[in-house]
Amino acid sequence: MSKLIEIILSDKAEIRDQSLDKFCRTASTEELLEECDQLDSFRRKSENLYQKVRALFFLYAIHRFHISMRAEISHEGRIPYDAYEHMLKRRFEQAIDIFTRIQKDKGPNEGISSGLSEAFHRLAFQTLADQVRYSVRHTLGNQWMFRCGHPHDQPLEIRKELLEPDSETGLFPVLNESTPVRMDITHSGWSDIFFLGMDFPEGAKVLNISVNLEIRQKGKSSDPEPPINSYFRVIDQPVLRLISIDLESSVEITRLDEVFDYAKDYLGLLKAAVIASGIIPPGMEGSGMPLSDLLKKMLGPGKGIELVSHVNNIPKGSRLAVSTNLLASLISVCMRASGQTSSLTGSLAEEERRLVAARSILGEWLGGSGGGWQDSGGIWPGIKLIRGVRAGEGDPEYGKSKGRLLPDHTILTREEVGDSTRQKLQDCLVMVHGGMAQDVGPVLEMVTEKYLLRSESEWKARMQAIRFFDDVVEKLKEGDIKSIAAFTQKNFTGPIRTIIPWTTNIYTETLIQKVEKEFGGKFWGFWMMGGMSGGGMGFIFDPSVKQKAQDRLQEILSETKKIFESAIPFAIEPVVYDFSINSQGSVCRMLNKDLAMMPQKYYILMSPALIKREITDLTQGQRLELQNLGQQSKDNEAYGDFVRGLYERMIPRSEQTTEIELTLEQLLDSYGFDPEVHQQIKSDLKSGRIGLSQNRLPVTSTIRDVEPGEISVIAEGDEGIFHRMGLEALKAGKLAIVTLAGGAGSRWTQGAGVVKTIHPFARYSGKHRSFLELHLAKNRSVAKICGREIPHIITTSFLTHDAIQNFLDYSAFFGHAGQTYLSPGRSIGLRLIPTERELRYLWEVLPQQIQDEQEQKVIESLHNALINWAKETGEGEDYIDNLPHQCVHPVGHWYEIPNMMMNGTLEKLLKENPGVEHLMVHNVDTLGANADPAVFGHHLSKGNAMTAEVITRRLDDRGGGLAKVNGRIQIVEGLALPDEKIEFDLSFYNSNTFWLDINKILESFRLDRKELGNPEKVRESVRMMARRMPTYITVKDVKKRWGVGQEDIFPVVQFEKLWGDMTALSNLDSGYLAVPRMRGQQLKEISELDGWLRDGSADYIEKLCDLE
Amino acid sequence: MEVQKAVITAAGPNQRKLPLQTLIDKEGIEKSFLELLIEEVLAAGINDICVVVQPGDELPYGQVIGDHVHGVTFVHQKKPLGYGHALYSASSFTGRDAFLHLVGDHLYVNRSSESCAKHLVDFAAKHECTVSTVQPTRESLIPNFGVVGGSRMQGVKDVYQVETVIEKPTPTVAEQKLLVPGLRAGHYLCFFGMHVLTPAVMDILGTELKSSNKASLSAALNRIAQSEQYLALEKNDLRYDMGEKYGLLKAQLALALYGKDRDRILNELVEFFALKDE
Repeated sequence: MSKLIEIILSDKAEIRDQSLDKFCRTASTEELLEECDQLDSFRRKSENLYQKVRALFFLYAIHRFHISMRAEISHEGRIPYDAYEHMLKRRFEQAIDIFTRIQKDKGPNEGISSGLSEAFHRLAFQTLADQVRYSVRHTLGNQWMFRCGHPHDQPLEIRKELLEPDSETGLFPVLNESTPVRMDITHSGWSDIFFLGMDFPEGAKVLNISVNLEIRQKGKSSDPEPPINSYFRVIDQPVLRLISIDLESSVEITRLDEVFDYAKDYLGLLKAAVIASGIIPPGMEGSGMPLSDLLKKMLGPGKGIELVSHVNNIPKGSRLAVSTNLLASLISVCMRASGQTSSLTGSLAEEERRLVAARSILGEWLGGSGGGWQDSGGIWPGIKLIRGVRAGEGDPEYGKSKGRLLPDHTILTREEVGDSTRQKLQDCLVMVHGGMAQDVGPVLEMVTEKYLLRSESEWKARMQAIRFFDDVVEKLKEGDIKSIAAFTQKNFTGPIRTIIPWTTNIYTETLIQKVEKEFGGKFWGFWMMGGMSGGGMGFIFDPSVKQKAQDRLQEILSETKKIFESAIPFAIEPVVYDFSINSQGSVCRMLNKDLAMMPQKYYILMSPALIKREITDLTQGQRLELQNLGQQSKDNEAYGDFVRGLYERMIPRSEQTTEIELTLEQLLDSYGFDPEVHQQIKSDLKSGRIGLSQNRLPVTSTIRDVEPGEISVIAEGDEGIFHRMGLEALKAGKLAIVTLAGGAGSRWTQGAGVVKTIHPFARYSGKHRSFLELHLAKNRSVAKICGREIPHIITTSFLTHDAIQNFLDYSAFFGHAGQTYLSPGRSIGLRLIPTERELRYLWEVLPQQIQDEQEQKVIESLHNALINWAKETGEGEDYIDNLPHQCVHPVGHWYEIPNMMMNGTLEKLLKENPGVEHLMVHNVDTLGANADPAVFGHHLSKGNAMTAEVITRRLDDRGGGLAKVNGRIQIVEGLALPDEKIEFDLSFYNSNTFWLDINKILESFRLDRKELGNPEKVRESVRMMARRMPTYITVKDVKKRWGVGQEDIFPVVQFEKLWGDMTALSNLDSGYLAVPRMRGQQLKEISELDGWLRDGSADYIEKLCDLE
Repeated sequence: MEVQKAVITAAGPNQRKLPLQTLIDKEGIEKSFLELLIEEVLAAGINDICVVVQPGDELPYGQVIGDHVHGVTFVHQKKPLGYGHALYSASSFTGRDAFLHLVGDHLYVNRSSESCAKHLVDFAAKHECTVSTVQPTRESLIPNFGVVGGSRMQGVKDVYQVETVIEKPTPTVAEQKLLVPGLRAGHYLCFFGMHVLTPAVMDILGTELKSSNKASLSAALNRIAQSEQYLALEKNDLRYDMGEKYGLLKAQLALALYGKDRDRILNELVEFFALKDE
């Protein structure tokens, strides 16, 4: 039997928990291929989820980290388009079949292995997601909702107590559910991820505490309350009215299909709650039945439901599971109202809490999101242990996975954890939100993968985290908070960072250092909450300094944020919380008579529209409610600020808008915005003369792959003649390096507007280092070898210049003593609102990755919402409804070289370094690019004006490549390819590293070195050349922040010109050089970091750098 | 265990006219609804019958049951305290005996020649325990019934060991507590409205009434399920709630279609369907 299958099937932990990497290191490639064959047939036959998924992860890892890295396999090889298409449509099995067939026919190669690893990886997660979906749907108490497809089948009725208005006030009673949030004190290595509890229930345990919370206001004492409130009441209109007070959003739904349209507005969570609670059962989706029939069946004629959510100012990314607890709170109040709980008010029974938790998972799945199984912990009171449970007979997971989807909750009694310990915990802990709101999705995937692979150090770290859990529980029972702090700190610096190095960042590390320095022994330890640090975090202090610590932490957070705000993504200003342990869990009360009112903020949001209407247009309920509101605001002191709030809502202040407009104008003016060109682009876009479809080369163009021998190839560590030639030139000072840093790197932080170049993304030699720091360190390393400095130019744009300049000043150029030039941008574009045509082309014509069933529904609903947004806001009009720097865009890296000519940087460089004859130009995310003497030698040997580096293609290398277009070899952008299939016939991908012969490039611009001092001539030459370059229309995502840490992502149109198109010029000789993957690969997304670390890329970079 | 007594509850405040309704029985004979119920009991070999009524109703009810009036004891439910209380009002009549119980707003139509009540009584006598007749019912209807959860009795067709009884559950609760292996998905065993009850049931009702002035038969049966043998007998006969909209019409149609005038009624129905709207 295969050794790996033996590992999977073994009952013995010492065999089962063996690391895959350990096995692979000593296995030959043939052995690995044979293992893959056997694993593939094994996983196809296995019915057991654990065995199936572990085999899939093994297959993924063998291809990704072992076979594809073996020297003996071919590094060329094309990806078959039909397999790629299957992957896009989530037909992973079919893709795997195609890849495997080709591998069998032609032998293993890097391209096919990249396809296989990706397909196995995604199939593994799909299989896990399918199991969660199956479990959620088959949880007892949830199944009937999927069978209920017609209003007449709806067995639920709204409770009688809620159906009749009060005889005196005419107001319907209001149900109000108050729910705390939860914090996880142990952070036992993300063990609450659904899949992990199902794989290894014994290791899945957390210590989860329900807390009341509010943002601290200096000098004000506070008594925090449960931060989440949900309200349910019957209304006298046959509609479903959903309102989020915090997101200032409301909707009156009259059609059933609107309830299932999650992303149409900001009310997806409320919709998911209405569905998951069974009020509108999920089985009704697509039934085409009228919503009014369903409401009539449940409430009687003429009546409807109003559901309101209100969260007390807690920003997103708090790591306190606010959204899951809000969902649970909403589900809970809906279940009470529809008679699914034994009592209408008060606490929930244990079995009811469990059902609410199961339905919250269902609701998250419906809404296309998901957290961990401890997240709805706020429903339970006080301090509880939540532990994974082995699946038993009768559980939907039985026979499929070891553990159940739903864990067990044990509430710790006051005998186990006394009142004084609870008080001490409150007195020692300072909870903060550091301001960062990051997507933890990639981290959760990384953890799942590492645990299932039993990666050596990570598995060891996990075991250590589990031991810490036991220690923390023990110390909590003893009331020893200081020791708990020591454990949480050790957990953070030990296991957590070992498992996922990306959970920490320079901001968090700096905060900890500052607090340690200031508070010394009175600072007991740092406590990492949730998926990543930087957002919700805890600092544990000696109780005698808590007050001071709270005051100082607010200041430390704010000043530290200021240093890093351009480099790492912040969503809000940091805050410090006041908190208390909640001993009741989720509790409901019924508001009757004149107290049957919603919170004041509800009326500030909702009453302006009612007041503007004729009184005769209001329903009786609305009239009576407004009357009661009027009375309350006169008689009730608590309504003191109500009228002012109402005024502000009805007549908003307008200064802010004016300020933004002016600043945008100033920004455009100072960066040389050309309104004429902009108007032309606008009108061309509107009329359809330019657009995504017009980027493409004519379909009549012949585009072929290059033949073997048509381009040069360099092997790693080439020490031959080229190396000598390059080294000579370096010693002679003939090279300068240009790092292209004009773009913000929107994929890196999904359009957050921070500068990727200075993002300290990885730890080297004990410190977080940014892209730019590593590029300078590579420069120093080569400079050491050749014995002289290499000038380094960093091209910037309006987006990046100030941030880079400030960061270089702050860090003293990262200790880089060599010559460094900043070349500021001289071009800027104003973003446009896309047309419906462009968006449909992007989402409906161009190949798109299909997501898992429910997620895809949400995406499609979002796309429709965004198309409506574009139509309503003005297709093809200026995009100005955002912060000024988010409304403008850099115009492509083609301009960054001409900018050096226009802004005098090139002239200065050549004046100060007259011997410089060549430039190595590279993207900021091509981390492996350095002034390698051998590569330089290749460039010199051919005497071309330009040499472009290319790498062999893997599945995720999308965006064009090297091709013979109408017989001439050139770089072709993906945007320009007439048919996306063509890309899959191109063996080489453009790494965007170019070696330029300065004189020859200037010549192509019809310039020479002397003329660089003539700005007029330079400008004219650049303008002439720009006209010869194609203009690409692109659609990019831009983030708009609002509310408290909320973010929306909008698609916007911008244009760009790209340097690779210079290779198409007939009067410019270009050469091409295939370089090793690690030199040419680019790091585009944060989710790639883990693979980059594990496949040796990070070590490769470290070897290139001089980090001393 | 012999079952020689029967109790029919007919004291619902909104249903006082139901027992007086006139129907045509399977033989084509005009009878009152109450008379039909009494005949169902008599067919089970029970002659000692108690009807629980609201004070003052015994006279009109007595008038519509013809000669049967001599075998019937009318007992008053003195206060409208619900169904459990109505049943308990007959406790002095039942004494320490097991008895057959029928609800007074349901009409039972047997699909076979054997009377449903007789089948039940014989079965209870054989097993010497509390027995309820039940019928698998779709989950959308369960909020109208008492529902039992349990498991099939090995080797006996249509018989279940009852473990839980919940009155008018939501499907959420039903799925968690009342699933019965072997039933179709989304179906539960709901009361058919006919039980053989032991004196223990009356004892529980009495205790409940004393302590809280409220009593529920389902809750009492749930306690019985925890403390003694309690079986459910599945019946696929027809049962009609006379109090619901068109209940009377449906009951009458069922009687006619299972009786001697079946062909005649079918013909008339076909003619009725064939009538073209002018």
